[in-house]
Amino acid sequence: MSTIVDPAEILKSIENTPKMSASATELLSLTGDPNHNFCDVVAIVRNDSILTARVLKTVNSAAFSLMQEVTSIDRAVSFMGEKMLVGVALEVATAHLFDKKLEGYGGERGDLWRHDLRCAIASEEITKLAGTGFSKDLAFTGGILHDIGKSIISDYLKNTAEGALLQIEEGAYADYLDAEQNLLGTDHTLVGETLALDWKLPEPLRQVIRYHHQPAEASDEYRALVYAVHLGDLLAMMGGSGTGADNMHYTLDERYKDYLNLSNGDMELIILNVDEAYEKASESMAGGTDA
Amino acid sequence: MILGVGDFGAVNQAGEEVKTFALGSCVAVIFLNVKTRMVGMAHIALPDSSINTEKGKTKPGYFANTGIPALLDLMNRMGCAAGGVGMSVKLAGGASIMDPNNTFNIGKRNQLAIKKILWRYHLGALSMDVGGNFSRTVAVSVDTGKVLLSSPGKKDWEI
Ligand SMILES: [Fe+2]
Ligand SMILES: [Fe+2]
Repeated sequence: MSTIVDPAEILKSIENTPKMSASATELLSLTGDPNHNFCDVVAIVRNDSILTARVLKTVNSAAFSLMQEVTSIDRAVSFMGEKMLVGVALEVATAHLFDKKLEGYGGERGDLWRHDLRCAIASEEITKLAGTGFSKDLAFTGGILHDIGKSIISDYLKNTAEGALLQIEEGAYADYLDAEQNLLGTDHTLVGETLALDWKLPEPLRQVIRYHHQPAEASDEYRALVYAVHLGDLLAMMGGSGTGADNMHYTLDERYKDYLNLSNGDMELIILNVDEAYEKASESMAGGTDA
Repeated sequence: MILGVGDFGAVNQAGEEVKTFALGSCVAVIFLNVKTRMVGMAHIALPDSSINTEKGKTKPGYFANTGIPALLDLMNRMGCAAGGVGMSVKLAGGASIMDPNNTFNIGKRNQLAIKKILWRYHLGALSMDVGGNFSRTVAVSVDTGKVLLSSPGKKDWEI
């Protein structure tokens, strides 16, 4: 199999990707710990002036429709909730990746962020309804980060979208992940995992990033969580939030039924709830991208 | 005029168009009325409002069973004949992810629900572009009455 790019090139771009900000890394590991303390969360925000400014801007945006302007960080964080705080922190910390126009996928600027946000909300809704035993906040964060590898490999996929779609249509490639493998010898889940290791992300998030298209291969311990994001990802695409030409060209693993207790009626309810929550969240978290 | 998920609307002035972005499993129902030179569209997300009747009232365009009557009603108030008389119908969307056993068949169920409601008005689709594994952006112009579709990685086409 000959690929259009040397894998070492891709590794080099991962190494050249800026590290996440210290506050985002700390927030991720802190909020992943079930026994963490609210004051510690506030302390992290306080120590990062950019994050502080963004948190206040978000909580005072129209979406929260608060009567009075909030100026204290404690109050801002409790209004916002930790899930949203982590979302804002990640958006600030990784803006250079989320904001990028995914040219290799034929996507527009902001598509990746919108897809990730919608997937995050869907994964959270699924976790709430299906009882995975995982916190819904962790599912949300996993959704935000699941496709982070796309922003790296997009650069190497330029002008490949049309050909990849044809090959999938003809059955030569099974789906878009397979197309990436054939074109590059790697794919966005593998590159994402390398990035996650480089960023020292907690284990459950690494599992989500690596296995969200092959949830059955995730480790036992985190498999239900990975299935939740697997479904959340597909629901985001069905809802019209994709990242370009690859949209909807991914395969459903039906064995989710062994891990998630969801009826067909539940799926419709999830779609409805996700649409409503997404509309609200994209208003307040739009930040640098337009949503 | 840009329609979001669950929105519906109609235009009849020269130079105007009605457009909706990235239909995945959602379906755009498009009504064309030659006599009044009016085009209408609903961006429908789910087949039936029985799962949330309140939403069916506040955002009728979200469901097939409430969206089609609401759009026909609007176009009637704007000057078209009542009950869908003289309407041409086009459909686009209702796609799915790669799902060999049709487990996530919302796109298909949307299409079926829409066709059932249309039958009640003795309407059938003149042309449609539905299903498949890709999302569609749809635009309809008053001037030409043409329905233009686009999708990332594909050349634009018309139905
Ligand atoms: Fe992915
Ligand atoms: Fe994704």
